[in-house]
Amino acid sequence: MKADHRATLTRRQIFSPGLFSVTFDCPDLARAVLPGQFAMLEVPERAQPYLRRAYSVADADAGAGTVEFLIKTIGRGTRALERMPERSTVRLLGPMGNAFTVADLPRGARVAIVAGGIGAAPFPALLRGIAKAGLSADFFLGGRNAKELSIRARFDGLVPGETVLASDDGALGEKGFVTEALARRLGAGTRYARLYACGPMPMFAALAKVVGPARLPSEFSTEAEMGCGFGACLGCVIPGTEKPFIVSCSEGPILSPEKIQW
Amino acid sequence: MSDPLAVTLGPLTLNNPILTASGTFGYGLEFTDFVDLAAIGGLCTKGLSLKPHAGNAPPRICETPAGMLNAIGLQNVGVEAFVSEKLPKLRACGATVIANVWGDLEDDYVTVVRALEGADGIAAVELNISCPNVRQGGMLFGNSPPLTRALVAKVRAATRRPLIVKLSPNAPDLVESARAAREAGADILSLVNTFVGMAIAPETARPRISFGTGGLSGPAIRPLAVRMVYQVAKALPGVPLMGIGGIAELSDVLEFLAAGATAIQVGTANFKDPGVSGRLVKELTDYCAARKTTVAALVGRAHRGGGRVGGAAGAEG
Ligand SMILES: Cc1cc2nc3c(=O)[nH]c(=O)nc-3n(C[C@H](O)[C@H](O)[C@H](O)COP(=O)(O)OP(=O)(O)OC[C@H]3O[C@@H](n4cnc5c(N)ncnc54)[C@H](O)[C@@H]3O)c2cc1C
Ligand SMILES: Cc1cc2nc3c(=O)[nH]c(=O)nc-3n(C[C@H](O)[C@H](O)[C@H](O)COP(=O)(O)O)c2cc1C
Ligand code: FES
Repeated sequence: MKADHRATLTRRQIFSPGLFSVTFDCPDLARAVLPGQFAMLEVPERAQPYLRRAYSVADADAGAGTVEFLIKTIGRGTRALERMPERSTVRLLGPMGNAFTVADLPRGARVAIVAGGIGAAPFPALLRGIAKAGLSADFFLGGRNAKELSIRARFDGLVPGETVLASDDGALGEKGFVTEALARRLGAGTRYARLYACGPMPMFAALAKVVGPARLPSEFSTEAEMGCGFGACLGCVIPGTEKPFIVSCSEGPILSPEKIQW
Repeated sequence: MSDPLAVTLGPLTLNNPILTASGTFGYGLEFTDFVDLAAIGGLCTKGLSLKPHAGNAPPRICETPAGMLNAIGLQNVGVEAFVSEKLPKLRACGATVIANVWGDLEDDYVTVVRALEGADGIAAVELNISCPNVRQGGMLFGNSPPLTRALVAKVRAATRRPLIVKLSPNAPDLVESARAAREAGADILSLVNTFVGMAIAPETARPRISFGTGGLSGPAIRPLAVRMVYQVAKALPGVPLMGIGGIAELSDVLEFLAAGATAIQVGTANFKDPGVSGRLVKELTDYCAARKTTVAALVGRAHRGGGRVGGAAGAEG
């Protein structure tokens, strides 16, 4: 069941300027949330930002009662989060949306995870789930430059497989887009049972062209401007193939690429 | 003493004056984790049309200072699916349902209202003649008193249900629109819908919303909406009004009641705080209990007692 939780900021970890993690005490949400789901976060400012912002739950610890988010500073909401003193309280509406599916894969299966920049956010929890289910995963993390890839520190020891880095400028890892790094592996014969991806729309569009021909079943964690996060405003739609518009907050955010009109 | 929160608006009696506004409360069912639908005065459905409607291309919304712009384009499941799939569940929750309807042409409104006539569990019909986000219909009716009059008269003839007409704040003369709707048979007037606005991304010099313009809502519009409710209440005394615009707190509710509204609708605030409507009912209950007063006694207080209110609304003394 969705609920509006009060949460207290207990920890902030900075990967590089403008790229950080925040951890909140929020026991009920920590128990309820599944990998891939998100929460609508309200920072305590009345006028601006006025609406809540959606953040994927990066990880949750039911025992400790904590939930963590990985954040990239963009505008008003994220700047407020960046400056917020420890022990501040926020409101978290969640859990929202659907979750990644893992349970149906047989033990020993190999999956791929593709993340562009802050698109890495939903994957710590998924990677732990994958390891626990006895699967292996290659983690492809792309960014514009070395700074954007600083978030990789959050994944140390979490990846049951290979970590592949790619940067547009070649400063770290393979040079070029992360989708190209994936395409090279697929071209060389690597096979995956499923692919999970999160990143900016241009990355998804490029990725759809790779996974389609490879017939690689995929789950994309999509992003759209959200007014409410629970299906009430119809502001967050994405053009679909089976119907004109998909309501991304309640039918997603995790969608298979064939359902999206690119 | 009768229930201090109960209000009567012409033929419509409600348990309390806190309703939720069309398009900001889905079909109600999205909110059952947050609000006891039976505890609020009523809910207005997303605008219903005869056929399912896909709405506008994204991006459809953007945040603005103390509010938002939207151009959803009246996406809805259509009246038939509403009656067969949503309404039975709403009835099971004990909700007081107000069906908000719209159309491109006069006859579309009439057909939707007729399609609702056979359905049980609809307390009233609210005509949206004020949506700024569709190319046809909608606001075109609301911005012209003669068109308003003709449309409302036709719909009036098609239903025995309490008829609410939702006015456009973009109309050149709101009082004239209100008068036209009332004279053509509206039992209740609700005001206001969103104000036409625009936001442009400086980086691209393109509108932030694909439709170009959008409807402005949220606390940013509250003083405008309060002024409009005050004006219409003053010009048309005795006509029951529902006040809408940026309501998020108990003090906002009291403000609209004082301006002359007998009930209010909470809109955009539902998005950031889905439990807000239920909370307002509780707070208003406590407020009335602590002051041994009734909601009815709070209505129109700004018009009484010799206070001077200047400007376009005129003075009373
Ligand atoms: C399901 C979902 C999950 C999300 N998960 C995360 C997450 O885990 N971590 C995270 O950091 N963010 C996440 N986001 C994005 C987040 O909701 C906010 O949009 C983002 O943090 C910007 O908020 P802000 O208030 O700082 O900026 P705003 O003040 O809202 O935006 C400032 C400007 O930047 C533009 N803008 C907004 N978002 C982006 C963007 N992503 N890239 C470039 N420009 C943008 C806006 O159009 C605006 O012009 C997610 C979004 C969705 C829908
Ligand atoms: C996203 C959104 C969708 C809306 N859809 C409708 C609609 O379908 N029909 C209608 O009559 N009004 C619609 N409205 C207008 C609201 O019902 C309300 O009149 C307006 O938002 C002002 O109130 P507020 O400031 O409390 O939001 C919509 C408003 C928003 C923000
Ligand atoms: S964000 Fe409101 S419907 Fe999806």
